[in-house]
Parts: sequence; structure tokens; C-alpha cells
Amino acid sequence: MSAPAAPRPAPAAPGAGPPGEPAGAPRAPVGRSWRAFAAPAGVLVAGAAWMLYVENSGLDAIERRSLAPHYVWEKTWEHVQLTAVSTLAVLAVALPLGILLSRAWARPGTPIVLAVADIGQSAPTIGVVVLLAVAFGIGFWTTVVALVAYGVLPALRNTMVGLQQVDPALTDAGRGIGMSPAAVLARVELPLASPVILAGIRTTLVLMVGTASIASFVSSGGLGDLITTGVTTQRTPVLLTGCVLIALLALLVDWLGGTAARLLAPKGL
Amino acid sequence: MSFWEYLGDRRELLVFETWQHASMVFQTVLAALVIGVAAGIAVHRSERLATLATGAAGVAFTVPSLALLGLLITPLGLGVAPSVTALTLYSLLPIVRNTVVGLTGVDRTLVEAARGIGMTRAAVLLRIELPLAWPVILTGVRVATQLAMGVGAIAAYVSGPGLGEQIFSGLARLGGANALNMTLAGTLGIVLLALLFDGCFVVVGRLTTPRGIRD
Amino acid sequence: MTDTAPETPPGPAPAPPPDSARSSGAADGEDRRGIRLIEVTKRYPGQRAPAVDRVSLTIPGGEIVVLLGPSGSGKTTLMRLINRLIEPTSGTIVVAGRDALGLDPTELRRHIGYVIQNAGLFPHMTVAANIGLVPRMLKWDRRRTAARVDELLELVDLDPGAFRGRYPRELSGGQQQRVGVARALAADPPALLMDEPFGAVDPITREHLQDSLLRLQEELRKTIVFVTHDIDEALKLGDRIAILGEGSRIAQYGTPQEILLDPADAYVERFAGGGRATRPLRFCRVGDVPLRAVPEAAPGDDAAAVRERIGAAGTGFAVVLDEARRPLRWLFSEDLAGVSGPVGERGSPSAEPLRTRDTLQQALERLIQIDRECVPVVGARGAYQGTVTLATLQKALREMRERARTRRPDTARTVDTARTVDTAAGTEET
Repeated sequence: MSAPAAPRPAPAAPGAGPPGEPAGAPRAPVGRSWRAFAAPAGVLVAGAAWMLYVENSGLDAIERRSLAPHYVWEKTWEHVQLTAVSTLAVLAVALPLGILLSRAWARPGTPIVLAVADIGQSAPTIGVVVLLAVAFGIGFWTTVVALVAYGVLPALRNTMVGLQQVDPALTDAGRGIGMSPAAVLARVELPLASPVILAGIRTTLVLMVGTASIASFVSSGGLGDLITTGVTTQRTPVLLTGCVLIALLALLVDWLGGTAARLLAPKGL
Repeated sequence: MSFWEYLGDRRELLVFETWQHASMVFQTVLAALVIGVAAGIAVHRSERLATLATGAAGVAFTVPSLALLGLLITPLGLGVAPSVTALTLYSLLPIVRNTVVGLTGVDRTLVEAARGIGMTRAAVLLRIELPLAWPVILTGVRVATQLAMGVGAIAAYVSGPGLGEQIFSGLARLGGANALNMTLAGTLGIVLLALLFDGCFVVVGRLTTPRGIRD
Repeated sequence: MTDTAPETPPGPAPAPPPDSARSSGAADGEDRRGIRLIEVTKRYPGQRAPAVDRVSLTIPGGEIVVLLGPSGSGKTTLMRLINRLIEPTSGTIVVAGRDALGLDPTELRRHIGYVIQNAGLFPHMTVAANIGLVPRMLKWDRRRTAARVDELLELVDLDPGAFRGRYPRELSGGQQQRVGVARALAADPPALLMDEPFGAVDPITREHLQDSLLRLQEELRKTIVFVTHDIDEALKLGDRIAILGEGSRIAQYGTPQEILLDPADAYVERFAGGGRATRPLRFCRVGDVPLRAVPEAAPGDDAAAVRERIGAAGTGFAVVLDEARRPLRWLFSEDLAGVSGPVGERGSPSAEPLRTRDTLQQALERLIQIDRECVPVVGARGAYQGTVTLATLQKALREMRERARTRRPDTARTVDTARTVDTAAGTEET
């Protein structure tokens, strides 16, 4: 996979994007705080309503066992943990690497790194998870490693694109008034690149929620368990509950990412 | 058995599954291209519909592939049907979205100029808008293909065709003799296919993008 | 509207009555190629005020008519009604003798050239493909189209061999615009609509493009509607200028001279005066132009003698001076009818006199301000030197024009004076 030259994160990687959102553009204006919480509240209500409906829809013994509230809650929590840990790990890898690769001296190496990351991206997650499980045994960290391998690319790419699109005149201005390279990075480049970088993080978050359902195959838990259980026992309510909860979790996480992008992006951009 | 020995031993099966995988991805993406571009054309003139379509595509995308495959078992059973349906649906999302983005991204003054010199609506669409939006649409198709490759691997979970078979067989024999070989063969096979397809896209992109708008 | 000769004494130029073209010029070929808008209105749903409100305009065949107005005056809207990129709510539009609203819009547009800002060339097509689009749509065969493309490229001063196969992005802005004009001319349409075509190129290129357009027009005599917000461009290119106000209201429709020298109202005055167009007036002094000679009189002069003097001069009025030759009053022949003895205090007081150091611009302003035809001019110590009238200013401008024409015989265009003086003044400034 060659690295597309176009620095347009939104149309270039639409599949990986959060719902209908141009990268870097916060969804709604800040203010009217009650409105900002309407979306997550809606998601939580929808989740609760679904659970109420399922629990009261005449379940058989198998279904009741798989859909016991404490069990569902445990699976949800595992899912959140997987998502959170792997997102943090992705950021820990992608941000420094992205910054490093966008330094002037490293730019010749950029296409190589992106090509490697592209190849990594083209490996099917399920294959990577199983490979890691074969090599290192099953468990939480195996899944995290696979998720990180999968999620690093969007975050890395957005970090680099964000930094590269900063107007050189502004970095020159920073240097011109006597800022050290580190100060230019911290005070000029990163703030200006932050909307794009944050959009990348948001994309990563949503990607992680969906991909974490694969953890179920290597016994790392998560809501994927409900799906596999549903499929193997042919119990549609269980399967549906898994799907609905993952989708709702993704929406919730997308909202979180959007809110973070809005709050963390410097005002005036 | 070493990996190379495994490859030699199962050559026929592997070639067959690779072919199946490639053919499944190719056909579903092609179907998604036709449906997605048609849908994109249908909605792009209305801002409301366009926003709705891209928004819906985004929300649908939060449904994990595993869940989608699972959901399709009930109406479609196991095997090819749910796999192909899931792959097509997934491929649709980036294609619809990029078609809309590409078409709405065409400079309005060019469309005006085209109408101004007396082109019919159909001619404007076919000769101006689609060619100018094509690079963006093609990017969408590329993303869709990559997605379909990965989802195609998971499709083996619902007994779909393709290289996912190898991975799930490996998973089933975890700790067994050939588990590593099987998983490796499946994974690497898909990586190679993905790279091959992507290379094709570079070529197709160069051949189908007019020189005047090539980067 | 019949052709208004520049010499005609300026007066308010009314918008032409809708039927004038039909009555005066339906027979001659020029107006067969003209464009007429009759009571055209465009309303957008949800907007109270119409974007175009009952506009009537006659564009004579073979002329360049400039729609001039500030942004938001609806000049582009008005133009796009002609090729029905915008459909009028009511009214009639006649293009080349045919009811435009009765034609298929795409068919209509293929017979009206259309040039827009930045040329609007299709980036994915070669220059030849861009130019050949309309001929191909009109089902010309390949060979004829190719021949036409080469012919047009030569017409717009581009070497066919070098430019035929290029893509728009490989051309400079000026070259793109030339190709844009060539594309508009491809099917030899009788009429051309140009929407700020030279708005986005640098001043020097713009000048070249304007000159080429005028040269082309000499040859082709197309009916051209040209939209701009640049008064200089309007004066240079327009055979006629329509100055648009809100709701595409036509504030004035007339020749450049009429617009310059006799603005119909304060709006036109502000708009025409706000640009650089009136610069020749600003850089020429009252003392530098020949003034109007008017019979002189003193308060003690005999009325009959003064009447005779007025009659001999044929001016209809005299100026009354005091002992120091300072102008006091205007004395019209009516004031003296049946009067005998000294003229005394008769007549109407003259306005604050102009000084010879004042510019023609100031003279024009004074004339407009006092609402009278003439202003006295005084030299040192307030002594009367002569009189300025609108005709004086017109004549002065005309003479400047003549001088410019002898200097640049190839561009014998009416307003080039303005530009020449303009440029000279600009050089002085810098």
C-alpha cells in the first residue's frame, strides 16, 4: 500500500471515520451544557431500555444465564477495559512516533514507516489475534497487542498529517522570536495540529470498540462473548444484545472523543 | 512441519481458498461500487439526504463485523450468503460516503459552467461531476476493499468461504501441530492479497484518472 | 433606444422602453442578434424582496453592454436569467429574436457563449476537449470540431500546436481565460455572456485580455453582456453601461460618457465617481481647458445694450461683474424682457465661483450641487475668467480623448483617454 499523498484525513480514510464527521471539526458548538449530554443520555437510556425489554421477553434457561445482568455488566466492563487500555497504548506509540516522524530530519523516512504501518493495517485483525495467541498464549494482553497493532495507523497518520499541515510561516515565526525547537513544538505545532490529532484519537477509540469484540475468540472476554455465545447456541436475543451493546458503546465512545476534541482543542481555531 | 512444508503440502487447498477470498472480495466490492455510487448520486444533490446518508453510514459502521455476521445468520443461515451480504454492506459504507464527499466536493462553478454551455443534467453528471469525483470515489473503493479483506477473514466464523478458514482452523487447534502454520498461512495470504489488490488500485487509479487532475 | 450620440446634450437617460427595439430596429440585422429583457422578475421563495424586480433592458445586437454594480446588486443574477441558469418568475426574455423561455434551456445555452471568472475550464479535459465540448454536443463531426478548435485557438492568440493537448492546470490564468473565451465562441453563438471574466487575473494580464476582447469584437461583432464591478473595465469595454442598484434596479443605462458626465442620480454619481474613472477630471484643472465665453455686463449697463450683446453671442445669458470684475449674477434674456435703463440688481445670484486652480472634478461637483448649468470661474483676486458648463467639461474630455487617439491610433476607443490620463497620473503619483 502506497501512502496517499493527500493530507485530507476525512475523505481519504472515510471507512475508519466516526459517524458523518469531517476530521478535525467538532460536531456542535460548546455551550448549552444540557444539550451536550443529550447524546450520551440517549445512549444510556437506549441501553437500559434494551436490557429491560430483553430480560422480560420470556427467555429460556440458556438465554437467562447469558443475559444475567451481572454477567452482561461484567462483559461490558471487560470491553471498556480492553478499549481503554488499547487506546492508551495506541496513543503512547502513535503520538511520539508521529511527532518524531514529522521532524524535518525524519521526513525522508516517513513514507517507509507509513508503508509498513499500511501493511500492518492490511493484516486481518482476527489473524493477528490468533497468531499472537498461538505464539504467546491466550489472554487480555495478547488482545491488547493485536488491537494496538491494528489501531496505531489512523492515530499515527492523523498526528503526522496534523503536524505537517501547520503553516510553516507560523513555525518560522516561532523560531524567529527565539523559541527553542521544543518550545515551537509544544507552543505552536501541537496546539495547531491538535484538532486533527484529536480527530485521529476519536477514530481510534471507535475502531477499538468494534475490534475488541474479536477478543472473545481468544478468551479475553468483552461483549464479543455474547455474540459468540449467541451464534454457537443459536440464541438470537443473546446475539442481538451483544450487537446492540457494542454499537451503543461505540456511539458513547464517539461522543466522548468528540467532547474531548472540543474541550482540548485550542480556542480560536 | 515447517511453514514451507505446510504450504507445499496444502498447496491446492490454499490456492483454492485464496482464489475464493479474492473472488468474494472482488465481487462484493464491485456490487458495493455499483450500489454505493448510485446511492451517492441519488442523495448528493440534497444536503439533508447527503448528511443523513453519511451519518447513517457512520453509525452502521459502529456495528462490529462479528455482530453483523452473527445477525445475518438468522435470516440467511450459514455459509456464502451471510458472508457476501456482510461484505457488501461493509464495503458500501466508505463508497457511499466518498461518493457523496467527492460529488459535493466538485467545484460548483464548474457545474455552473457546464450547464451554462448547455450540457444536460445527465451529461453534467457523467462528463463533469463523476470524472472529477472519481479519485475520491476510488479512494473509497480502496478502503472498502481493505475492509472487505478483513471482514472476509471473520466471515469464516459463519462458515463463509476464503482464507479465514485457515485462521479459524488454527484457532480451533490452538496448541496443536499445525495451528501456527494455518494461522500464518491465512493471515499472510490475506496480507498478500490486500497488497496485490491495492497495487491494482494504483494502476487502475492511474489509468482512470484523467491526466489533468492527477496529483 | 436609438443610438445616443456622445454629442447630444446630457440629460437623464431613462431606461429604454420595452418596445423600442421592436419599433426601431426589428428590421435591421443588428437587433435580430440583440437581447431583450421585458419586465423580468425573479423571486426566491421565502424572500420578501424580489432579487430582480421588473427589469427591462434592451441589449442591441453587436454591442458590448456592461452590467455594472456593487456586489449584491444582482448583476450576475440578471445575466444568468438570460441563459436561464436562473429561471425568471415572470417576464419575457428575447434572445436573437426568439423567446428564450419557450426554448429548451440546454439548447438555448448551446447558442449563447458563457464565460465565467477563472474561466471554469474542466480540469480533466484538455484544452481542445474543453473548446470542442459544445460543437460535439451539437453533433459536429470530429474533423470539423478539430478544425474549429484550432481556428479558435488562433483567434485568441494561442498556438494550436502548443496548447491543443494541454490541461487547464498547465496554463497561466490569462491563458485559461483565453481558452474560456474560445470555448464560449466555439459554436459561433450570436451572443456571449461574460461574468466577471477577468476578475481574477493580475492587472497587466487583465489589460491584455481586455484589449484582445475589443480586437475580437471588432472582428466578430457579437452581442456581449459583460458583468463587472470595476468601473474602469466597464468604461473601457462597454458600448453601453447599465448601472444596477438594489433588486437589479437599473439606475442608469447609457453610454460611458453619459454615465460619467451626467449621472442620473446620486447613486450612479457615487458609484461612477467612486472609481478611478473620473480621474481625468480630477487631474485636469479648470484653468487648463478652454472656458465658455459669456457676454459681460456691469450693473450700470443699459439693459437694451446687454440684451443685444446676449443676442449676438447666442448664449441666452450674460454675467454681471462688479468694478473688480468679480462675478455677481447671471442675467438671462428673460430677465431683461421689456426693461429699459441700467440692469441694476436684476438676474439671479451666481454660485460660489470656481477658481482656475480647481480641478474639473470639483467643477463637475459644483455643477451638480448648485443645480444650474453654469458656474463662473475666477482667477487672481477673484477676477472673472470665464464660465464652466457641462458642455465645457464634455468638450474638454472629448479633446483629451482625441489627443489619446492620435497617440494610440490602434485603440481608437472612446474612453481610452480616461485610461491614458489615468496611467500618466498614476506614474506621477508614484
